[in-house]
Amino acid sequence: MQKTIIEPNGHNMQYWKDIWRYRELAFNFAKRDVTVRYKQTIIGFGWAVISPIINMLLMTFIFGSVAGLSSEGDTPYYIMVYAGLIPWALLSKSLQSGAGTFISNAGIMNKVYFPRILSPLGSMLAFLIDTSISFAVLFVLMIIFHFTEGFVPSIRMLLCPLVLLWVATLGLFAGLFLSAFNVKWRDLNQMLPFIISIGQYVSPVAYSVSENFGDKWWLPLYCLNPAVGVLETFKWCVIDSMEFNSFAFFASLGWTILFIPLGIKCFRKTERTFVDIV
Amino acid sequence: MDNRPVMIDLQNVKKKYVIRHNFEKPTTFSGKLKLLAKRIAHPTKKHETEDFYALNGVTFQVRKGEKVGIIGKNGAGKSTLLKVLSRITEPSDGRIEMLGKLSAMLEVGTGFNGELTGRENIYLNGAILGMTKEEIDSKLDAIIEFSEVGRFIDTPVKRYSSGMFVRLAFAVASNLDPDILIVDEVLAVGDTKFQRKCIDKMMNIADSGKTILYVSHQMQTIQQLCDRVIVLKEGKVVYDGDVEKGIEIYTETVDVDATSFDLTDHKPRGSQMAVIEKVDIIDKKTCSWFYNEPIRFKIKIKAKEKCDKVKLYFIIRDLNVNNVFGKSESAEINFSQAGKTYEIECSVGTTNLLAPGKYIAGLELWRDDEGIVTIHDIVPEVFSFEILGEDTENHTVPPLAWDTKIFGHMMADETQCNIINIE
Repeated sequence: MQKTIIEPNGHNMQYWKDIWRYRELAFNFAKRDVTVRYKQTIIGFGWAVISPIINMLLMTFIFGSVAGLSSEGDTPYYIMVYAGLIPWALLSKSLQSGAGTFISNAGIMNKVYFPRILSPLGSMLAFLIDTSISFAVLFVLMIIFHFTEGFVPSIRMLLCPLVLLWVATLGLFAGLFLSAFNVKWRDLNQMLPFIISIGQYVSPVAYSVSENFGDKWWLPLYCLNPAVGVLETFKWCVIDSMEFNSFAFFASLGWTILFIPLGIKCFRKTERTFVDIV
Repeated sequence: MDNRPVMIDLQNVKKKYVIRHNFEKPTTFSGKLKLLAKRIAHPTKKHETEDFYALNGVTFQVRKGEKVGIIGKNGAGKSTLLKVLSRITEPSDGRIEMLGKLSAMLEVGTGFNGELTGRENIYLNGAILGMTKEEIDSKLDAIIEFSEVGRFIDTPVKRYSSGMFVRLAFAVASNLDPDILIVDEVLAVGDTKFQRKCIDKMMNIADSGKTILYVSHQMQTIQQLCDRVIVLKEGKVVYDGDVEKGIEIYTETVDVDATSFDLTDHKPRGSQMAVIEKVDIIDKKTCSWFYNEPIRFKIKIKAKEKCDKVKLYFIIRDLNVNNVFGKSESAEINFSQAGKTYEIECSVGTTNLLAPGKYIAGLELWRDDEGIVTIHDIVPEVFSFEILGEDTENHTVPPLAWDTKIFGHMMADETQCNIINIE
């Protein structure tokens, strides 16, 4: 029989074994999230298609037509925006659910033990499922634009799933890093939506970096934003003519490598006793 | 010598909470100066803090197959102990060793999602409680049968009656197959028939050689289920051993010293349109009354919305939490102003029906419109009190009032309620 030892601040290896033992729970959480999200809606999964398309139309109008920013080379603006929206939605949702995980799941966590990290992991999986649906829409858009404007997708698209996994990981662990503060000071919960909507403008979601800011002196500074690298990399996978933004790529990678241990550490520290505070 | 393996071993387990007080408002000039000095020294500190030990050095061992009842009054540390054992929160000090798989039923239906169907919830809840898909698959039929929800199993549980919901939830939890089972009074759910079924199920689990820790206020169930009792008081073990003796000691630890009860944090039940917030005993230093002496108290009720035809019910229970007799009801009270707190003076005359001893008082707020009732709020345990023997100065025991028209009915005095203040 397995032996469990409970001690204050115990560094038990038990935890990682438990994650393995409870692994099915993450899938169950993901399944719950996806099922519940579209329950009692008429078009159900259709929403996973409609909302990014509406966003695409809106952002193309704002950035392309009103602000007059340029796309990547001769890529249709719609495609470029859509390719930015997919990772952006995933990043912001993972970040928010990671940061809010203790609060939104307090009801369960107060009454039953399971390795807490499975809860945000489950949400992340659910977002990945949503993302794969909107990714499928990208294919449809490409076919349309292939015949109307002669758009040719890049072979690098095969790398997209990997990049999306990276995006979700970055968002999740950055979120987990913030989750600790969120338990004590709920201000963050209020701030996060603002940060995300500002982020949408200061990250290359709906415009091209190289075309618009290619010659600006503050470009390296801009690329330090953790979101820039992942967005640029994802767009580079989709758009053949785009150049690889290696500086932004390594900046984002650096942030990810920083956030993973930091996120785990903060999360572990908080999960021990957060039920006493929440 | 008992050579069964030790399943749970607690050594000096403590759990500390930090509670905050607002600075006391000083009334003297020197007091104000002191506070000013404190503020300057710690500019960010807005509160004074105090350490509170919910568990203060708990040590005991439980061997395989033992069925241990944990009793103690509210705030004795029972729930904290269960939370620490089930790894929901960490202890602040001490060490616990446990052998085998542990499952805790601290609440039925944890993680149930109203949008999901009964079947989907079985899988979700099962996984939360640590079951694998294969385990749930193999027990699915047993769970559905036990829950008696039958053909509603593929209906979203938000459409279930509360009874069905609870039955399904208990069915999942009770089909766990752990080595150690921790149960927190979840049996007090559902109708009487289902409660009976739950207790039988628990007895089955107990008979199959599992180790059980059971927390309850219901001494009867403890007697039925347990072969050992641990009595907690103020975070410490005050007794550990024989069931009968333990219950006796628990009964003695019920104290009647407090006379002011803040209920603002009580578990919400009912519509919550009017909520019981505070009870203060009038003119007494302890909660003890002589036989036939009216129990007088002031109660603060916050009317969140306007409500009329409300009656306040005073319920007297024995220490096994069984009702001694029906509720004593008040005349109708009308809360005509929403958002106000009503202070009401009450006087309960039914002490002439009680034998000397200790009791628990509960309060309920119901709207009663010619038999159509809406529950606004329920506080099952407000305070414990003691009925002292006959008033020694007045040896004649007053006669009980009988309704002679319908033979056998006893007339209890109506609870007198007068609104004395609205703020």
